[in-house]
Amino acid sequence: MEDAHQRIVEATYACVARRGVAKTTVEDVAREAGVSRATVYRAFPGGRDELINATVAWATLDFFGRLYHRIEGAASLEEVMERGIMFAHRSIIEHEVLQRVMQTEPDKLLPILTVESNRIREGIAAVLAPYLSERGLAAGVDLDDAADFLARMVLSYISAPGRWDLDDPDQVARLVRSELLAGVVVANRVP
Amino acid sequence: MDRSRGALRIVEVDAEVAPAAASAVSHDSPHRVRIIDGTLACLARHGTAKTTVDDIARESGVSRATVYRAFPGGRDEILGAVVDTEAARLFSALGVRLGTADGLAEALVGGIVEASVRLRDHSALHFLVEHEPGIILGHLAFADSDRLLATASRFTAPFLARWMPPAEAERVAEWAARIVLSYAISPSDSTDLCDPVQAGRIVDTFMLPGIDALHSAGVRLIDISPHLRGHPTFDDSAPTSIS
Repeated sequence: MEDAHQRIVEATYACVARRGVAKTTVEDVAREAGVSRATVYRAFPGGRDELINATVAWATLDFFGRLYHRIEGAASLEEVMERGIMFAHRSIIEHEVLQRVMQTEPDKLLPILTVESNRIREGIAAVLAPYLSERGLAAGVDLDDAADFLARMVLSYISAPGRWDLDDPDQVARLVRSELLAGVVVANRVP
Repeated sequence: MDRSRGALRIVEVDAEVAPAAASAVSHDSPHRVRIIDGTLACLARHGTAKTTVDDIARESGVSRATVYRAFPGGRDEILGAVVDTEAARLFSALGVRLGTADGLAEALVGGIVEASVRLRDHSALHFLVEHEPGIILGHLAFADSDRLLATASRFTAPFLARWMPPAEAERVAEWAARIVLSYAISPSDSTDLCDPVQAGRIVDTFMLPGIDALHSAGVRLIDISPHLRGHPTFDDSAPTSIS
């Protein structure tokens, strides 16, 4: 059952990648996954909408899996944030399916992404919290507040870099040490 | 994203045309403001899809003919004018708060609270987010969010340039806009930026130390916006004051 679930989600992703959200039907997904319509509905009683939500959630999890891998072995909180921001920024830019659906069917994706972004924010905060407490917080800074604030900001920068060039390691290092960490941790280590 | 599908669009406004946007409120027809406010009331109840020119005329207490005299382009022109006017109102209110502040911290807190309260209390905006999400949310994601941040920071940065070099002021203004948007889109249980005390905590804890750190990297920052180099009103020798 777990396997079928996974196969159906991956099939949905493949269908959306080819045809977009609006033109993906439960029938398409069943055919792509090599299962019956009934099997799809047993796994996802909510039908198409539930399939799409589950697929976005799966893509998010997949992103976090690769993110963890990317920050593994980083020597400092700063390095974790630098690696994470650069990786996440590239992942969004290079995510063809995400970019295409955003171009052609923003109405279909945006409400889901808005909900999903809360989960992503909590995920980022959970990644950062242990590094923050190990590093030591500035006086009067609450761990949960700091992790939540940093997660909000990271999410904001990776989806809309604004004046920052997140492909430039020097700029990312400066961003991390100014707008992100300057008020949060004990002392700013010079890179 | 394809903007023609949503009737609302946020016009990318240059700093140069900002005064023009503000004066849209007092355009030639004396009925324009009334019609714009009537439209806002309609949007708060029915959204864009179900609001007709008849509804707008009725709500504004004017005739259809008067509506078309003020807005020959009809509904689409009115909706465009609503967005421009609301943006102009937000930025003029921010201008007042930032312009009258005695210090950087007061300016940041005042600006963040002003913007947060206006977003929280904007019933037309809330209706659209709830019922026609594509229209509003599109401006809050990816490239369109970049445009929105750029517009917000271009309007507010000149006020912050009283305390820092212009290139740095643009970054700080953009940063403040990010903070406002983040908490407006996903409210937090522990931090309400409409409350000056809580906004003050964010400014004191995160922003002021961050601005100091940005400042110590000032030379490189100005490199990033070469068109701002040698800004005539900024005295490079002046120290940054953050209180």
